[in-house]
Amino acid sequence: MSKFLKGNYELNVNIDDTRADDAERTVDEFERKALSRLGGSICFVSKKGFLWKGENGARTSDRKPS
Amino acid sequence: MELGRQIASRLKDATFERIAAAGVANAAINRPHIGRSILELATLPLGAGDSAIVIGAGPSLHRRRSLERLRALCYTGTIVAVDGALGSCLRAGIVPHLVVSVDPHRERIVRWFGDPSLTAAPADDYFRRQEMDPMQAADELAANRELIRLVDAHGPSMRVAAATSAAPEVVARCTAAGMELFWWNPMYDDYDDPESVSRRLNRDNGLPCLNGGGNVGTAAWVIAHAVLGKRRVGLVGIDFSYPPNTRYERTQYYPELRSLLGERYADAYIHVEHPVLRERWFCDPAYWWFRDVFLEMARDAECRTINCTEGGILFGDPVELAALEDFVNVKAARTA
Repeated sequence: MSKFLKGNYELNVNIDDTRADDAERTVDEFERKALSRLGGSICFVSKKGFLWKGENGARTSDRKPS
Repeated sequence: MELGRQIASRLKDATFERIAAAGVANAAINRPHIGRSILELATLPLGAGDSAIVIGAGPSLHRRRSLERLRALCYTGTIVAVDGALGSCLRAGIVPHLVVSVDPHRERIVRWFGDPSLTAAPADDYFRRQEMDPMQAADELAANRELIRLVDAHGPSMRVAAATSAAPEVVARCTAAGMELFWWNPMYDDYDDPESVSRRLNRDNGLPCLNGGGNVGTAAWVIAHAVLGKRRVGLVGIDFSYPPNTRYERTQYYPELRSLLGERYADAYIHVEHPVLRERWFCDPAYWWFRDVFLEMARDAECRTINCTEGGILFGDPVELAALEDFVNVKAARTA
């Protein structure tokens, strides 16, 4: 649209475009809170193995079977 | 994409939102009680051989009489039960080697172990509505009294794989019943992130972080193969769904779906036909997410997973389906 409409004057008011962002954020926040009520009882983390033993530990895939 | 699957695809982050704060708060309260690490379980004699059976609390456990059949089979391998299935196990004469508890809820979860503080049926209708333990749904107070007696009687024979997120009331109850606790942190987020919650917990208490897959049943399966090193893991009572003709009002997330979606709530349920039984089961978005996550994790697992639930929606590569008797007697299983 801006390639067709070009102003040849300056506006003497400030356009507050943060209001739309705020509204979007509020909706996102509501959606996030709403969805959280449908979640599980423990998290799932993709592609991080089954067990992490800490900085000096190895993942379980390194462990020998019984 | 249908509504239920759309919602399911967003539950990874939603779960963090739902339980991270409560889980971390519980970890701080539980900190003085943390002793042994879950890794020590691998050194203990918990059942014979290289197989384990994970007992979930899904409705097939009762529909298929899985526990009564398991008892008759005199299975000698390792038995890992989720907390919600503990009452059913003990009433059926099965004392699990290990009970897994994860959920941070401060009032509800202790009921799976028998809550000594319960004197009247609570306003919360969770136990009357849930499908996991029919006894608890019928007469809450009588079932609770019986469970206290059973857990007290068998407590010293059982170990608990306790997440640091577990409710402090559960920790107190298990300790009072003589159950020995072995601890682990839930993996909340990517531990490679320097600000990660998982990393912070590990630094604080030195415990390993376990990827739980969204629910206690999957966490129990992870423990069976990734901690105990079992190479054949059978599942019973892992339905992740509801049997045909279950009323929506009797499902886990009904109040939440109703309040979120109003009259459209039924659109969120996903219906699936079981490939062997030809029954049409259904699930809410959370259970569908559990199923997707389980199949993804199973592809990376160093074990065979044989679903002996005989119902539900957990099937597909690489999960095999078999009758419980075939699993225990080591007959060939087949992939759905």
